[in-house]
Amino acid sequence: MLKSTSTISWLVFAGAALLLSLLLQDLYLRSVLNLIAISALLAVSLRFVMLMGELNFAIAAFVGIGAYAAGYMSTAMEVPFWLAILIAGIGTGIVSAAFGAVTLRAKGPYFLLIGFAFTEAIRVAYSKVPALGGTSGMVGIFPPIAMDPWMPFFVMATVIVLLLIFFILERSDFGRVLFAIREKEEVARSVGINTFIYKIATIAFACFAAGIAGGLHAFVNNVISPGDFSYLMAAFALAYVKVGGEDHFFGPILGAIFLVSLSAYSLGFGGDEHFIYGGAIVLVVLLLPKGAVGAIANMRPKKAHVKGGGHAALEQ
Amino acid sequence: MTIFNKCATSAAAILVASFAAAPMVQAEEVIKLGLSTPLSGAAAIWGKGAEFMCETAAEEIREAGGVSVQGETYFFECLSYDNKYNAAEGTKVAQALFNREGVKFIGGSLGTAPVRALQSLAERQGALVFTTAWGASLKGPEHPTTFTQMNTPGEILPELIGYIVEQHPGAESVAMLNPNDATGQETEEIAATVWGEQDVEIVASDYYERGTTEFQPIAARLASFDPDIIDLGATPPADAGAIFKELDVIGWDGVKVVEVGTGADGLKATGGDAAEGVYMGAGVTFNADTATEHQIKVNERAKEAIGESLNAVQIGFYDSLFALKAAMEAADSVDPQAVAEAMPDVTFKTFYGSDIGFYGEERYGRVQQMRLPIIVTQVQNGELVEVGRLTP
Amino acid sequence: MQTFIQLGATTLQIGAVYVLFSLGLTLIFGVMRIVNFVHGHIFAVAALVVAYLLPILVGGGLAAPAAYVVASACGIAVSLALGAIIYLFGFRYFQRDLVGSFILSIGLVLLLDGVLLHVFGGAVRGVPEIFPGSVNIAGAQITVQRLFLCGVAFLMAGILYWTLGHTKLGRALRAVAYDHEAAMMMGVPYARIAFFGFLIASLLAAIAGALIAPVSIVSPVIGTDYLIKGFIAVIIGGLGSVPGAILGSLFVALVETLGGYYFDSSYAAIAIFALVIVVLLFRPKGMMGRA
Repeated sequence: MLKSTSTISWLVFAGAALLLSLLLQDLYLRSVLNLIAISALLAVSLRFVMLMGELNFAIAAFVGIGAYAAGYMSTAMEVPFWLAILIAGIGTGIVSAAFGAVTLRAKGPYFLLIGFAFTEAIRVAYSKVPALGGTSGMVGIFPPIAMDPWMPFFVMATVIVLLLIFFILERSDFGRVLFAIREKEEVARSVGINTFIYKIATIAFACFAAGIAGGLHAFVNNVISPGDFSYLMAAFALAYVKVGGEDHFFGPILGAIFLVSLSAYSLGFGGDEHFIYGGAIVLVVLLLPKGAVGAIANMRPKKAHVKGGGHAALEQ
Repeated sequence: MTIFNKCATSAAAILVASFAAAPMVQAEEVIKLGLSTPLSGAAAIWGKGAEFMCETAAEEIREAGGVSVQGETYFFECLSYDNKYNAAEGTKVAQALFNREGVKFIGGSLGTAPVRALQSLAERQGALVFTTAWGASLKGPEHPTTFTQMNTPGEILPELIGYIVEQHPGAESVAMLNPNDATGQETEEIAATVWGEQDVEIVASDYYERGTTEFQPIAARLASFDPDIIDLGATPPADAGAIFKELDVIGWDGVKVVEVGTGADGLKATGGDAAEGVYMGAGVTFNADTATEHQIKVNERAKEAIGESLNAVQIGFYDSLFALKAAMEAADSVDPQAVAEAMPDVTFKTFYGSDIGFYGEERYGRVQQMRLPIIVTQVQNGELVEVGRLTP
Repeated sequence: MQTFIQLGATTLQIGAVYVLFSLGLTLIFGVMRIVNFVHGHIFAVAALVVAYLLPILVGGGLAAPAAYVVASACGIAVSLALGAIIYLFGFRYFQRDLVGSFILSIGLVLLLDGVLLHVFGGAVRGVPEIFPGSVNIAGAQITVQRLFLCGVAFLMAGILYWTLGHTKLGRALRAVAYDHEAAMMMGVPYARIAFFGFLIASLLAAIAGALIAPVSIVSPVIGTDYLIKGFIAVIIGGLGSVPGAILGSLFVALVETLGGYYFDSSYAAIAIFALVIVVLLFRPKGMMGRA
């Protein structure tokens, strides 16, 4: 892909998103937009780790760590909100590096299931700490009142900056090493690359982003509880990636937009929300195995067969 | 079909479905009442029962002519969303109810974490909230538009524990168990104080994770302290039944209490004979001698609709509508602030049959608690029987 | 000493169900490299059907043990049917695709949650005891019901072990688990073997569900608790290994029993997770795992 087309797509996308976050007035839609932005960040973070061939199912635990850290710093220690989010992110990154150092020896399904076990253990742990509000949750996590009209913009801007960094990393040599690790780790090591350090760095950055997402989540919702950060959050992030298409950078973002909107819509169906959500996931996985992006890619005419320009594509 | 066609038809289908599901234009004055309860997962039946009770009350009010305010007649409509018992979903529900549906009154809410999320948004918008949640932090003078629609441990325990101690003067020690969450922790705190005041020694106070299904080790541990009384606090009836069954197998026998147990059906389902003699503080009986005809009729319909007898939690969702009606008519307004100001002084007829009002100044610093009767019940010969009733 | 025997008995009883559950999980992973989160619902469906039918049959005049057998047969049949549908219309296309199959199973979990809630309602159902009374074995009190459960569980484990070792189907399953390409080259009909593997696993889960109905709290959400414990057992024991699954299950049951008895049971939950991480530190593929 030519650099110029991706730069243009980026400018268009980022510009549209930021404009939307500034101009949207309806309170409800603003809340949904925040949710979409945070979910997109999570999905992209998850996919980033998938580039090296691992499924970081512990992501929900790290979102929680970020959220509680930011929340605690803001409510109990009166740290200014943007600083709380930043420190929360860095702290989460460090914890995840330690986690990765210990657990990355396990691969594939084992790493997946450790992540699952870790998420559930941390969730139980939060509920036992009274300073964090226990199971009833932590309240009062508010950004300064002056920020209220600007919150969606702040959230969107933070998310876009992080997405950009993910994109640049993926396109750079760092990304190439990750692909190499996924394909055949031994070969990468044989040319002298310290694959372990790359893996740790990947997890650390991905979970730094997850921690920031957690901090944003805390300030957007104002109340957090251990139940928010269960394995379902990781499962949904994975659904965004798969439904959107894991082969392309924008896939998870599309998936997040679609599924979060669907979930907001189906909230009105009461207890059937999960049913609709689950049904959507099953349908998409079965019918569109490459996700939405894959489906769109299939629609593009293959260059060799097209004569007479792009008009033929519209007839499909 | 090509992928493109598949996408197009699915998108079209979604569009059509969304228009079909769009709310119909209202032909009369309707006040939408939001409900935030768990509608899926382990507590789903509470949410479903709550919805049922809200709709029952709304129907009864409609048949009686609606709510008259400033010459206009209003009817209630119940909008029930699933908060999945956690704060993130509670926030989504709150956003949807207040900002998407334009709701100004919450007919009922369940689950401390989601209720906190709801309250936070409600207060910024000046909406009125009814809740069954027990956290005392939700109810003080800083929350002038929040009202509680059921008895909480603060009201129930002194009465219940007092009764038990009176009936079993030889019982000197108690072992407590609670689920590891806000409800359990609040209950444990209050219970510990009250047992202490009654000079009963607390030999153990444990917590367990909700969702546990194997209770043998827990039961064995409780029995090992050899207590005269085992108090299961806020443990849901089904879990409590399983624990008592295990205790029975081990051979423990003594005074059995499920303080804020709400119903005998779950207890009997899992406990069988071991459920005999259990005391409960939030149970509701539907026998002809203590229940009104109206109660029995509604309960029969409830059993058909949701599969279980009603409990005190769900009844709160009926009472709140009648309280709202009374307050709206007293304030002659449908503005939530005005209604909230009128609420502490109104009386209305509760599902339990009596006319009641609000109280709570002493305990919470504010009059916000429905003055509901505290009913002590016990399982006798397999049936739940009312053994004591106090109106505070 | 008495306490230890009682705790040991408890461990065995709790472990019995986990064994049945995790055998299915490990079999599915071994043969198809799928992490199957829907397993919990297959288990739950069997238990729910039994809980639903049993009171009806007993009310209709059938003696309790006979009613139980009939209800269990129905429950197992329904579960197997569900498993077969899920496989034929879903997992069949995602074999060896860890991420794809996992996501499919999550979607199915959400879907089935809604379906089960609608069909069975949220209320807990009571199942009357089929084999009343309890026995005293070496000083430990065990109900006959639970003894029956233990017995059947270990019998099934034994049958499975024997099947894998001594029958053609078993050898084919093991071959496929070890190296599926080589197995196919040797003429093993992979598609059919995979299907049988999935069915056997579902059968084990269904039997577990039918067995647990009289001793536990039957509601549409019981699958989740066992699922989590089952996966932990399988990770500790090693994905794909039958003896590993048994060992892992007993280990989890032991920690749960001891933890629940000597400490608060919610700490026991944390302890189990911590132990998983420790085990994996030293044996990244589980105690008896292989690729």
